[in-house]
Amino acid sequence: MKRRSFGRDAGLSLRMLLTSGMLGLLYVVFAVVLFNVLSVGLVPMLVIVVGLALFQYFTSAKIALAASGAKVVDRSQAPELHDMVERLCALSDLPKPKIAVIPTDVPNAFATGRSPKHSAVAVTEGLWRRLEQREIEGVLAHELAHIANRDVLVMTLASFFAMLAGLLTRFGLYGGMFGGGDRNREGGAPVWLIIFAVSILTYALSFILIRTISRYREYSADRGAALVTGAPEHLMSALQKISSQMTRIPQRDLRQVEAMNAFFIIPTNVKSSLGELFATHPPMEKRLARLAEISREMGRPVG
Amino acid sequence: MGFTDILFGRKRLKEASGERLFALSTARITLETDLGLTPAGTAAVCFKPLSAGEFVRVENELAELVDSAAASSGSKVRRRSDDYGFQWITIEDPDFEDLVTAVHLVGSELQARGFGPQLLASIFRFEGASGSDPVYFIWGYKRGAFWPFVPKGGKEQERDNARELELKAKLERELPIEPDLERWFGMFDAPL
Repeated sequence: MKRRSFGRDAGLSLRMLLTSGMLGLLYVVFAVVLFNVLSVGLVPMLVIVVGLALFQYFTSAKIALAASGAKVVDRSQAPELHDMVERLCALSDLPKPKIAVIPTDVPNAFATGRSPKHSAVAVTEGLWRRLEQREIEGVLAHELAHIANRDVLVMTLASFFAMLAGLLTRFGLYGGMFGGGDRNREGGAPVWLIIFAVSILTYALSFILIRTISRYREYSADRGAALVTGAPEHLMSALQKISSQMTRIPQRDLRQVEAMNAFFIIPTNVKSSLGELFATHPPMEKRLARLAEISREMGRPVG
Repeated sequence: MGFTDILFGRKRLKEASGERLFALSTARITLETDLGLTPAGTAAVCFKPLSAGEFVRVENELAELVDSAAASSGSKVRRRSDDYGFQWITIEDPDFEDLVTAVHLVGSELQARGFGPQLLASIFRFEGASGSDPVYFIWGYKRGAFWPFVPKGGKEQERDNARELELKAKLERELPIEPDLERWFGMFDAPL
């Protein structure tokens, strides 16, 4: 229901469905291969995997916020940010998420939370300082679109299967090496070797597929942001600013930083872990090209 | 004739990362002819003093050493501490080679006595065309590399990032420039 406000892209939906489907299929095949070769305690295995997945699902917001060093801010600490998010939430029919600020210079933002009601949006200080109001609005709309599209749920499901594969591999390896030796006396490759090969293949394929899904979700969120703000060009300029080299140059003083790092004991490290997440994002040119396309559809000139 | 020759009669000092400091002397020609930057004749070394007895002794020795060397080569030396609790040795010398050598001396002396980790950075000032902001090159001892620093001179800690990147692009071949832009920390209000 909520997705309606973010527009539809039939081709994109189809591709997303196909990739997710293939991912699911892959794990089914993997499981079948494993359990026909060995019958290791299936029930305890599944209990663990489901338990971990649920844990991940329910704590994802807190973990993401804690890992990035984000601090939840209330209205009095960031009134403008709260106003902006409220406006965008009203436009896209979403409950207002928690708002957090990450104290780093590199402009970036992320959204997290298992459902729109339990979501949070975090922005870095650098984003707020270096981007114009309308650009920040574009970025926030993009993050809210992730929430509306329930991307945490989608990605948790996708990585749930990856976790499953990882656990099965470990159990399978153990069983193959110490328990299932008898079944394979007639010759051929030992069982553990087969499991090893299969799980490596599963790993490689699931890695690629999860990333592909992630990239499709990014395009979806870009589209959602463009439709809510009605102005893709601001998101475009925001993306260009975020990706530009210039924003990587810090604004703080060297002495200040060294003092904060308990002087020379721990090396100065300001690298944001968020930056690494960009590997799961589509290349900037492609995102810009698609946004330009949306902009044309909407009948707006492209800046 | 640099500081070290006068002091010890030796031409070369140890410490590999310190040697790359001299790349700035070589790059000076490019700086002057292609970029219109002339050395301002001042440079400074910034380090964190320790209260340990041995460090105080070494620091005093260093001060004497630098003062006597400065007296014979005709450069001026000032010492001061800043609000961050760092110690600065500012050197003024119209001869750019002497300036680089003097900065190198301070660094290598501290390193030779085991206080290398206390060294933070040294900074060299260059003047641009009339009216433009001065350009600084910061040598990070931890990184063994230079990075440009062009403060805009306002009250806020603002920098001309575009100019800095331009300098990087033009000097990359001659100077060891810090590749990680996230480590290009500025040094606002450096005493030079």
